[in-house]
Amino acid sequence: MSTDAQVAIGIFGVAMVATLGLGIAAMRGRDADREQWAVGGRSFGVILTWVLLAGECYTSFSYLGAAGWAYGYGAPILYLVGYMATGYATVYLFAPMVWSYAARHNLVSVRDILAHRFRSPRFGLVIAIVATLALLPYIQLQIQGMGLVVNAISYNEIPLETAFVIGFVVSAGFVLVSGLRGSAWVSVFKDALVILTIVFLAIYLPLKLFGSYGNLFERLRTERPEWLTLPGNESPGLGVLWFMSTCILNGVAFTVFPSFVAGYLGSKSPNTIRRNAIFLPMYSLLLLVPMMLGMAALFVVPNLEENDLALLSMVTAELPGWVVGIVGVAGALSAIVPMAVFMLCIGTLWGGQSVNRARVVVVASGLAALGGALLFPDALVRLSVLSYEGIAQLVPPLVGGLLWRRMTVQGALAGLLVGEAIVVPLALSGNDPFLGVNAGLLGLVANVIVNVAVSRARPREDAPGPRFQRLSEGSTIPSSSQV
Amino acid sequence: MTNHVRGRKSLLWLLVPFLLFVAALPLANRIDPVILGLPFLFFWALLAVILSPLAIWLAARSDPFFQRDEAEPTDVD
Repeated sequence: MSTDAQVAIGIFGVAMVATLGLGIAAMRGRDADREQWAVGGRSFGVILTWVLLAGECYTSFSYLGAAGWAYGYGAPILYLVGYMATGYATVYLFAPMVWSYAARHNLVSVRDILAHRFRSPRFGLVIAIVATLALLPYIQLQIQGMGLVVNAISYNEIPLETAFVIGFVVSAGFVLVSGLRGSAWVSVFKDALVILTIVFLAIYLPLKLFGSYGNLFERLRTERPEWLTLPGNESPGLGVLWFMSTCILNGVAFTVFPSFVAGYLGSKSPNTIRRNAIFLPMYSLLLLVPMMLGMAALFVVPNLEENDLALLSMVTAELPGWVVGIVGVAGALSAIVPMAVFMLCIGTLWGGQSVNRARVVVVASGLAALGGALLFPDALVRLSVLSYEGIAQLVPPLVGGLLWRRMTVQGALAGLLVGEAIVVPLALSGNDPFLGVNAGLLGLVANVIVNVAVSRARPREDAPGPRFQRLSEGSTIPSSSQV
Repeated sequence: MTNHVRGRKSLLWLLVPFLLFVAALPLANRIDPVILGLPFLFFWALLAVILSPLAIWLAARSDPFFQRDEAEPTDVD
């Protein structure tokens, strides 16, 4: 083993132990009841909410993937910063309202909220199933992202499989004990490291390799001009129409993404969310860095077999072992934090009133994703392509349902099923984008039309009026079912 | 929708990110002119990333719910 590898692995090992300790210490002196564990007792201020939400949006795969897409396609990757901007505008508009509803009725998950709104535990169950299917591939994606990072920064000394297991053990370890609060504390550590390393890489690498950003783009312009506009280099139909429709679809989906909801339900007041909607899009500036570096890698490490290795290959090729180690810790934590929040989210979807039942589900979902990563590394990841578009179909019931009293559970369910019936086949058959448009947006439009039509067809009897409110106050699972 | 946005005109600022990244995109999808060394589409994206939080801040600044740190009503409770 080279000295560089020893140094990098040493730094990585110490940091993993520290992470586990920090995450577990987060819960000291508090009772791990359901509200504490699932939503941190709704007590987080601007900073904790910021790092928590940032931890979810800016993951190991957004960094690796941003560099990878930039390396492979070029300009289409800008959609990532595009939908975050439209997403946070939408979050400002709708998330404080969802938080308010959840806080008034003591609800801790998307399932709770919808079961309560439609007075239908069975509709809540449907939501839990959809959300779980959408989140599992994301957990696996993070485990595999962790594998790529750790394997690369250990100079291939640590095999992928070992790295998968380390990721699972660390994230499950602190989430079981400390829930959302543990994730938030680890996020603080993670964000400090990520900001430090990204800023360093942004300044050091391009200047060392090209002299300036201007020179880098000048070279791209003369040698690789296809990379600089949509639809990019040999991309699968990622043109202007796709970019526009994806910025709309992903933007509105942001507010309802179940793990993102889990993150902002921990806020102590609506302004905590509103302030984050203002400040989080600035974080996107950091995401521009791996995009630039991905394109820089075209000239430094050309013809890589795997695009997602563009950033890491350049880092290990150009920097000393101790820097590689720190970059690796930042990358690994960017996988561990979202993994933890996703597992926690699935746990709260299925836990009901019992924290212990939720913990069992956390372990089970983590093991399922770990098994997927070990046995079928490609299958589930392909499903993650449709996660966003599938989750977006929850927008009409969750956001629309709070705004339109006459929406019925039949309308919500029919719309949801039609939306998924459009998205899933199109995405799985490789027809997304369809005629240049994001398939999720097509599904969402059909979803809304069906929802409104069915809800209007049976308006009165099912519409919950305000007079029901007092009856259900304080009870999380409503007793009457209407499905 | 009515309860939720009544008297909150400043929320129109929230359209800005959509104008920058959606409506204006067909015009921005070009290499020239190069500004600050960046091909135009990349310059546009950088500009939009910087202006979007500003627009959301403008929306918040005159939003009575933000000024009072107030929970928001829905039409169902």
